[in-house]
Amino acid sequence: MTTAPRPALSAETAAPGGGPRDPRPGAGPAARAARLRPRRRGYEAVSGWLFVAPAVVLFAVMGLYTVGYGFLLSFAQWNGFAAHWTWVGIQNYKDLLWADPRYAPRVQHAALHTLYVMLAVPALTVLVSFPLAVLLNSARRMQTLLRSVYFVPYVTSGIAVFFAWQYILQPDGAINTLLKSVGMGSLSQPQGWLGNPHTALPTMIVVTVWGAVPVAMLMYLTGLQSIDRSVLEAAQLDGAGWWRTNFSVVWPLVRPITAIVVLLNLRDSLQGFQTFLVMTNGGPGDHTNVLGLEAYRLAFLMDLDPTLGLASALGWLLFAAALVIALINLRVLRSRT
Amino acid sequence: MTTIPLGPADGASAAGRTNGTAGSGGESGSDGGRLARRISAKVVIAVLLTAYGLVSVYPFLWMVSAAFKNQIEVVRGGHLIPHQPTLHTLTSTWNQLHFFRYFVNSLEVTAMTVVLTLVVYAAAGYAFAVLDFPGRGLLQKLFISLLFVPGITVMLPIVLLEDKLHLLGSHIGLVLPFVNGGAPLSILLMTGAFSAVPKELRESARVDGANEFHVFTRIYLPLSRPALITVGLLTAIPTWNEYLLTRVSLNNPGSYTLPLGLQTLSSENVPHYNEMMAGALIVVVPVVLLFLSLQRYFVNGLVGAVKG
Repeated sequence: MTTAPRPALSAETAAPGGGPRDPRPGAGPAARAARLRPRRRGYEAVSGWLFVAPAVVLFAVMGLYTVGYGFLLSFAQWNGFAAHWTWVGIQNYKDLLWADPRYAPRVQHAALHTLYVMLAVPALTVLVSFPLAVLLNSARRMQTLLRSVYFVPYVTSGIAVFFAWQYILQPDGAINTLLKSVGMGSLSQPQGWLGNPHTALPTMIVVTVWGAVPVAMLMYLTGLQSIDRSVLEAAQLDGAGWWRTNFSVVWPLVRPITAIVVLLNLRDSLQGFQTFLVMTNGGPGDHTNVLGLEAYRLAFLMDLDPTLGLASALGWLLFAAALVIALINLRVLRSRT
Repeated sequence: MTTIPLGPADGASAAGRTNGTAGSGGESGSDGGRLARRISAKVVIAVLLTAYGLVSVYPFLWMVSAAFKNQIEVVRGGHLIPHQPTLHTLTSTWNQLHFFRYFVNSLEVTAMTVVLTLVVYAAAGYAFAVLDFPGRGLLQKLFISLLFVPGITVMLPIVLLEDKLHLLGSHIGLVLPFVNGGAPLSILLMTGAFSAVPKELRESARVDGANEFHVFTRIYLPLSRPALITVGLLTAIPTWNEYLLTRVSLNNPGSYTLPLGLQTLSSENVPHYNEMMAGALIVVVPVVLLFLSLQRYFVNGLVGAVKG
């Protein structure tokens, strides 16, 4: 709550000035406005609060209350049915990180997989979506149509399309058939791409990137279209070719967008687990277990085991990690722009 | 505010490009090699772009394909175009498995979430963008900081809270957390849109005696229609597809939404992929249609969010 005093302060400092937002026409109306100001200020404050009230009430119940409740629960042991919580202090955190042989190895394993996903997904997403946006930006005729087509993964993202992926990744599925028909049958996976422990996680990463490219591509496209043409023309006049222009001029110019894309995808890779739950449920043999999935399992799939506190603690560890990532990203963004 | 940047930028780049082509053509009209290179570059670009288009729709194509195959053909696999296309899989999936019920439930949850989101956050966005009240900055920061709270961190407390309030298992019990979850983005977009409305409009309406509510409903809302559609679309698509909270909230099959109905299809011992894909198609088609009909709002909205 260190931020609490700041807005109040700024409100006070703004008050004597009469509010920088008030337009100040001629002398007469200004004088009238000055007379009306205290009443108007009160009226505005009341209506302001009335307008935000529904959002604040919902936020207080669904946001603040649940966050606080979850935080307390992370220091207790509970199975969801017992009348009372058993307070255990920071034992839940210790158990997850190293102390309990039932949980710690699973969490460490899942953390490693999550780390792979967090390294691979943002990098691959940028690697695919930036060139794609550059190419799309230069193709005028097909641009609108292709943009819609590229958005199919975003729009359909959910259990339905993950089932479709599962279907084409099976042993006799479309991907293996495709590989065989183009003479790369040696690459096909007889156990299915999700059945082989070595290909399961990379496959999940590819599916995640496939889902992340649309929004990233659109952000890059927007950035490209707001670049001043004269900058590019100047580069071309200086003799820079297509590669050189895109690599040395355009790429640095869209760096803020890259930072946003990386931040969003880092966050989603850290927290997201829906794809994993639907397509592999962590298998085969926990080879695709990630931290979000582990927390979901501890929270909802352990029946009467007292793991709810552990689930909360794991959720908070994820939150802490997300915060660190956001801060680092913010710093990088500031230092570069 | 959001519609303007794309148009002129597009036009300018188009003009720039045609000028550039004409200029270089004039300079080196005899240089056929350069022209050939230019054309072949265009072909390469078109091929690459089309290839990624195929990658984008690839699972979707197979979903459609399997949904029109019968049980024997889908097991044989191998070919995209069904040899004996049949509507039977789609109709039987729709009829046998209460998909109409699920469809209505999904529609109900999505519609309630969208309407509530628009009402609650349009009002909040108006307050943040236009009105001056104590605590505004702090509140705005609080809402944006919600962005960083992982869904899984609050999911368990939400379920426990709703259990206490006897909301668990009801559709409103899904709608409330969905609405709250969309708060950061919705507030960001609505505040941005309302800030772009000229302040003078409000001043003069107030002088004419209109109260704050009238200014909001008669001036700001109509002028911000594109932003409202964007927020609605950005809320509707994820809500329609939502699976994680829904799965742990609903336990009565009569209240299932489409994703849960689809889930029950896959939990049979031997997965019938033609039926699963037919079900998946039923889930996916409404959002694809919605997106295609409103996509320009989506693109503009995202552009606005990035700029903001």
